[in-house]
Amino acid sequence: MNLAACIAFSPVFPRGKISPDLAMSLATIRVNPQDIQNDAAEAGRDMELFRRIGARDRDAFAEFYDRHATRLYSVAQRILNDAIEAQDVVQDAFVQIWEKAASFDPRLGQPSYWVVTLVRNKSIDRIRASQRRAKLADAAGAESALITEVAASAHESLHGQEKAGLIRSALVELPADQRHAIELAFFSGLTQHEISAQLSQPLGTIKARIRRGLLKLRDQLEGVL
Amino acid sequence: MMIDERLQELAGLYVLGVLDGAELREFETALDRSAELRQFVAGLHPAVEAVAGSAPVAVPPPELRARILARIEPQKVLTLPDRPIAAVLWWWRALTAGLAVACVFLLVSDRQLRQTVAAQNQQLSQLQQLAQSLQTATNDLNHAVLALRESNRLANLRITMLNSLIADAPRTVAVTLWDYQAENGEFVVQNLKPLPADRDYELWVMDEHKVPVAAGVFHMDASGTTRMDFRPSREIKTPGQFCVTEEVKGGVDSPTIKNLILASN
Repeated sequence: MNLAACIAFSPVFPRGKISPDLAMSLATIRVNPQDIQNDAAEAGRDMELFRRIGARDRDAFAEFYDRHATRLYSVAQRILNDAIEAQDVVQDAFVQIWEKAASFDPRLGQPSYWVVTLVRNKSIDRIRASQRRAKLADAAGAESALITEVAASAHESLHGQEKAGLIRSALVELPADQRHAIELAFFSGLTQHEISAQLSQPLGTIKARIRRGLLKLRDQLEGVL
Repeated sequence: MMIDERLQELAGLYVLGVLDGAELREFETALDRSAELRQFVAGLHPAVEAVAGSAPVAVPPPELRARILARIEPQKVLTLPDRPIAAVLWWWRALTAGLAVACVFLLVSDRQLRQTVAAQNQQLSQLQQLAQSLQTATNDLNHAVLALRESNRLANLRITMLNSLIADAPRTVAVTLWDYQAENGEFVVQNLKPLPADRDYELWVMDEHKVPVAAGVFHMDASGTTRMDFRPSREIKTPGQFCVTEEVKGGVDSPTIKNLILASN
């Protein structure tokens, strides 16, 4: 994973203030192996907290809330664009975490993935229930273009500024059509066909863009998440 | 085995939560069957987390934390891995001890019950022996009572022989058996000649004042023997002599002396 793109979009290095030479040299810098160990430790910590939450440990639940609440609330707010509804969704999700942690199946993935999809799905359900999907879908196109301009993202709440920058840069390195299709799929609550119509592209093209984008992200984030 | 492009596309839609309908069912079936596909899907999770984390930071209000913590249940006793085992062991021991006590109690009860049954069997045997001896004694008493009754009955009877008073019938013999208690009797006669149809033999009983009282008429059948139960026409406590006369058909109120056939002493 190179750091050039990361630094290019970091608030410390505003866009346009880095020279091509510096970018080339930064491209050779690799992620510190210690970071990888820290990531593994973070994943293990979530699993340990989940186990304790399953045993009705309120302290573990509070720690898990502190680690993930901002990221989850940010996702809900991004999807719903409504602070009150986002709070309701996050509250529902954490109550469900409290009730279901004991039966959590690790085969579903890491707890951090499970809870973020939980909040995403609850938020989408709210959109569909309130018939606001079309309105929000229109807004989604405009907002996705703004992501790269945002100084701070939800990753910083969990991974810190440096790693958040790496993740953000991985997203920015994606071709815009791929990133757009992925973000519409995740944040808008549109179906495949609706995304196809929204972007005026054949369904097969949308599927291919999503596949290629996710694979590229996966490869770029290897060792980071 | 490689994951083909179509399955990879479905996997991408799946992890982003936009797969639905028949494609979702098809993909979940494939997911159940293929460990390789599950591994491929798990490999996409960080990419999805990266997408989710790209959302602009929005800090939840502090009261949300307090509200959520208030919603969850009050803290219970922690069930760390060794605690449930200890609890199970404690309950197991308690259950075992309880069963042991119950077994001892049942053994003691069983022993006492067996002793009670044996004692009751012995008592029953003794009672059966007693009943048998009582039955024997009762039978003896019954025999004694029957013997006494027989003796008493014989004591109440009087047997009287009647002799023939006519010369041409020396073999004629008759007997009366009189029951003092019942005040009636039985008359038996043999070898008495038959009479014409318009004639009857009539039995007479002398009362305490030697007055003859009619006791019934009879015929002789072909065998030459006649048996007849009789009761005097009026009450007689202690009969005197018995006699038989030949009379007109149906009998008469007083005997015809000249026709006297049989008489007791």
